[in-house]
Amino acid sequence: MTLFEARELTKVYQGRTVLSLKELLLEEEKIYALQGPNGSGKTTLLEILGLLIRPTAGKLSYQGKWIDFTDTALTALRREIVLVHQNPILFTTTVKKNVEFGLNVRGISGEERKKIVIEALDLVGMRNFLRARAHKLSGGETQRVAIARALACYPKVMLFDEPTSSVDVENRMIIERIIRNINAEKKISVVFTSHDLTQASRLSHDIIPLFEGRRVASLHENIFSATASLNEKGKTTYLIREGLSLIGEETETAGEVKISIDPLKLSVDRIGNYKPDRNRLRGKLFQLTDEQSLVRAVVDVGILINVLLPKKTVKQHSLTIGDELALVVPKNAITVF
Amino acid sequence: MEFLLDSILSALVLLWSFDPDLYFVIYVSLKVSFFSTLLSSLLGVPIGFIVAFNEFRGKRAVITILNSLLALPTVVVGLVVYAFISRRGILGILDLLYTQTAMVIGQVILILPLVAALTIAAVGSIDEKYRKTAMTLGATTLETARVIFREARFAIVAAVIAAFGRVIAEVGVSMMLGGNAKGFTRTMTTAMALEYDKGEFVLGVALGIVLLAISFSINVLFNVAQGRTRS
Repeated sequence: MTLFEARELTKVYQGRTVLSLKELLLEEEKIYALQGPNGSGKTTLLEILGLLIRPTAGKLSYQGKWIDFTDTALTALRREIVLVHQNPILFTTTVKKNVEFGLNVRGISGEERKKIVIEALDLVGMRNFLRARAHKLSGGETQRVAIARALACYPKVMLFDEPTSSVDVENRMIIERIIRNINAEKKISVVFTSHDLTQASRLSHDIIPLFEGRRVASLHENIFSATASLNEKGKTTYLIREGLSLIGEETETAGEVKISIDPLKLSVDRIGNYKPDRNRLRGKLFQLTDEQSLVRAVVDVGILINVLLPKKTVKQHSLTIGDELALVVPKNAITVF
Repeated sequence: MEFLLDSILSALVLLWSFDPDLYFVIYVSLKVSFFSTLLSSLLGVPIGFIVAFNEFRGKRAVITILNSLLALPTVVVGLVVYAFISRRGILGILDLLYTQTAMVIGQVILILPLVAALTIAAVGSIDEKYRKTAMTLGATTLETARVIFREARFAIVAAVIAAFGRVIAEVGVSMMLGGNAKGFTRTMTTAMALEYDKGEFVLGVALGIVLLAISFSINVLFNVAQGRTRS
């Protein structure tokens, strides 16, 4: 069943369009990742889905009903959708009272409330902190209590804004496990934002790539600033840094631009086959991670470039971290913004 | 120097002797300041909170006006209220001039903008995330306002304390609207002004010591409240 449907959704802040979505369809009981660089409109979209801000234009439906953002009944809808902010705040009181907050406003009383609070804190492994002062917790603990506080409300949808951006590795793993569990066991639909594509792929059923407020067809990765200039053959050269330039397809763009290099269109070759060429970059394999049916390779060519390779290619070249290799960048892998 | 030390010594003796006239002056000061602070807080805190919490057309103008009123001279307040409550004024029939009520009215007008402006600053300094967090957890607008008020409570207390500090030390309103009548409207500051005029310093210095002690206590309270806000 459709959870959210958005049409022509726009948000303008002080004359600047920060979100412009033609269409968006999210289904129930799934995990979605809103992925994109800073300023791509992820948080704005999340806050609109959380019914915390009104879109400037466009329509949004929740479970098949179009939402009237001027409606006073919005509070009732909000009680089904809880957003956990990036670097969440806890109210200046105890952990218990923080987790109780949503239950108090829902009029849940006494024993029932106590039971839910303990259950929610148990889920995030923070039961021992029940009586602790909230402002004395570490960043990771704060994040976990904020998740418990949201879970205590028994939401149908949980929205997370960069849930692991300010926590250590241990807490990141715990939070990712919590997100997976609440979706698998409690059937809570999850939408989270992340600029970490690896995390987005690891956690979500579907990734929604955003760039400059728009939904884009493919993942814009490997975004770099470059100076574009036309060469004598009518092709465009993109100078990323001194000694590192790429040739793209014919375009009239010149001057300072932003380019993205599609990781799916890149390939690697053994260094033995390396021939000096503008679009064949010599580099070192920096990182290899499994990503669903593909393998993500990070290649250091002076800058780090992400490449998505079929598993058979990795096997065929017996790629291991530290290998020297040639990174092949076809002209059509470069997109200019 | 010797003269000042003698005055301080005599003042301490006077305080130690529990002179009823002296303590009545202190009592009037504290009573008038307490009620003017109470009334201005009952009005100013909600005004400040409503202005800070809500978005409306002309909000900036309201804040600018309140901030400008912070510099309101006490004598101007005294004059305006006098014009209303003197026998020829439109409220003359109430016979309020030279009463403690008149002093309270004047002082409320004096510190109301201060309480409101400091409340706006206190509420405005609360991170927007508190409002959004309360809302996303299902709070109504009223419950969200309670959360914000709770988070700003120490800063609001600091605003009230600052207002009390302003009125306990003011002299213009008390003199013009109270009339400095002994046993009725004489406050510490008006008494000090009178003693100065008379060239009698002992009572003035004694009251000065009390006033400083009160100011010191207020500042300690203010710092405690601010410290709680920061933590």
